[in-house]
Amino acid sequence: MTKSSEESPSRRTFMMVVIGLISAIVGVALAIPILGEVLSPLFKKRDIVWSELGKVSDLENIEPLVPKFVPVYFRVKEGWTVNTLPRQVIVVKDITGKLYFFSNQCTHLGCPLHWMPARQKFMCPCHGGMFNVLGKVVGGPPPRPLFVWVHKIENGTVLIQNKFLDNPKERGV
Amino acid sequence: MFKKIQNWFDERIELTELINEFNGERIPARGGWAYTFGSLLAFLFIIQVVTGIFLLFYYVPYFPMARNATYYIKHHVLLGNILLGIHLWGAFTMIFILLVHMSRVYFSGAYKKPRELQWVVGMVLFSVVVVLGLTGYMLIGNENSWWTINVLTNVAAHTPVIGGFLRIIVRGGTETSVITMQHIFAVHVWLLPIVVIMFIPIHIFLIRKTGEQGLPLEYKNSKLADDDINKWKHPDATVPFFPDQLYKDMIVALCVFAVVYLLAVVYGAEIGPMYRPLALNFAPEADWYFLANEELLKYFPGHGLIIFSTFLVPTIGFAILFALPFIDRGHERSPLKRPAATVLGILFLLLLVYLTLIGGEPKAPATV
Ligand code: HEM
Ligand code: FES
Repeated sequence: MTKSSEESPSRRTFMMVVIGLISAIVGVALAIPILGEVLSPLFKKRDIVWSELGKVSDLENIEPLVPKFVPVYFRVKEGWTVNTLPRQVIVVKDITGKLYFFSNQCTHLGCPLHWMPARQKFMCPCHGGMFNVLGKVVGGPPPRPLFVWVHKIENGTVLIQNKFLDNPKERGV
Repeated sequence: MFKKIQNWFDERIELTELINEFNGERIPARGGWAYTFGSLLAFLFIIQVVTGIFLLFYYVPYFPMARNATYYIKHHVLLGNILLGIHLWGAFTMIFILLVHMSRVYFSGAYKKPRELQWVVGMVLFSVVVVLGLTGYMLIGNENSWWTINVLTNVAAHTPVIGGFLRIIVRGGTETSVITMQHIFAVHVWLLPIVVIMFIPIHIFLIRKTGEQGLPLEYKNSKLADDDINKWKHPDATVPFFPDQLYKDMIVALCVFAVVYLLAVVYGAEIGPMYRPLALNFAPEADWYFLANEELLKYFPGHGLIIFSTFLVPTIGFAILFALPFIDRGHERSPLKRPAATVLGILFLLLLVYLTLIGGEPKAPATV
């Protein structure tokens, strides 16, 4: 017969260690896959695609310094689905004729920008962020100029990627 | 017949004794109505669980469908508008009553030794219930849900060091997607309710262990000194929880329930339009209890200061509230005899109301 914990202090210590160890083993064994499951998105590669925005010739005809909102549709894998992400591209032509492709996401916390023709500014409806037509912050809390889409021009067509230039924290589009 | 059944149970598990012990808890006698808010919260939480479970008979947590499923519950499910309305107004009421309950506890100094743990557990409940409200707002799948998810995950991204990773983990990827909605769903219907279901009994267990303190006016006749810990354990007069306190609890519960029900029937739940990422003139709005926080976001511009509004101020604020019993260690309970605490409390509440009111004003001029 083994001794009860009341008869032997060392037996008591042994039992306590076993109880503690079993709890720890089960806890850790469960925590590992749960952690894996939760952190899984960090190890997934982002699905990057090119999508057509329009003909350069058309975009070059827009009025200078008047932003044009052009929708673009990215077909990307999201989890177990393939989804279409509709997004707005703000196309701006400066006075030298150079084209800019901005995101309409406020760089503060991502609300959708409104263009106010009367004030010649993009206004953010959330916390009052303001940008000028070339994407510079001119008021409110946004920390940086507008994000610029990764883009290229091929055979006279503008292609946009579902990714921003200069985006160290990988903000989603 | 009834007696026989009772005896059957008593012979085996001494049921009557158990019930008497549960019901016999002594509650301070004078401020009974002020002690109804705690049970009211438990009552409201049960309502949320019951209505929530049955909303799940129809709800689908999938972004393009969630809003339509909610719309279906409201407009096509028989009396679904009432069920949904109770869930919505019940949630609003719960958050409001949380503030009332916290204020009553704060101004009566009931968080002081030996009741620090009650307060800390209460703060866990508070945080969880607010997140339940936010995630519920996101689950509707309407336009505001979409922007709230984006904005709040962007707020999370401002957490030092791990922020960027945090956003990816919460969203389940870089974008707000089906996975994001599924995460929010799991958190709203499983994870957080279970936390609440675990912590309410802990809260009540602790309160029974130390006894309810109640308002300072329960201790007028006490001869003990203020810093004698026993003083705050023995109110001048007490009544049993059942039926004296429960009677008041039930009356308050009924009144509040009637208001929630009425709001559900008359106003119901607003569902709003389907989310349209392409919309050019949409101004997202946070739920009312988040407006104060939202307003805060406006005051810290630029790269260096954003961290104040997204991380530092909320985190430090929360930390102070959590640790309140360990910061304010004076023994004085009466609000009049500790003017600093009382004035600070009132100012804080006023600030909250003020920020909420100006946070609620429309911010964007309509797009022309
Ligand atoms: C779901 C949320 C909550 C529930 C169901 C709940 C429930 C209760 C109940 C039934 C009581 C006893 C009756 C009363 O004094 O009202 C109580 C007391 C208390 N609650 Fe809560 N509570 C909740 C949230 C909170 C929060 C957010 C705090 C503070 C941060 C808090 C702190 C306290 C304290 C310190 C007491 C003891 C008061 C005394 O002894 O006089 N509770 N709570
Ligand atoms: S999201 Fe635009 S100012 Fe905050």
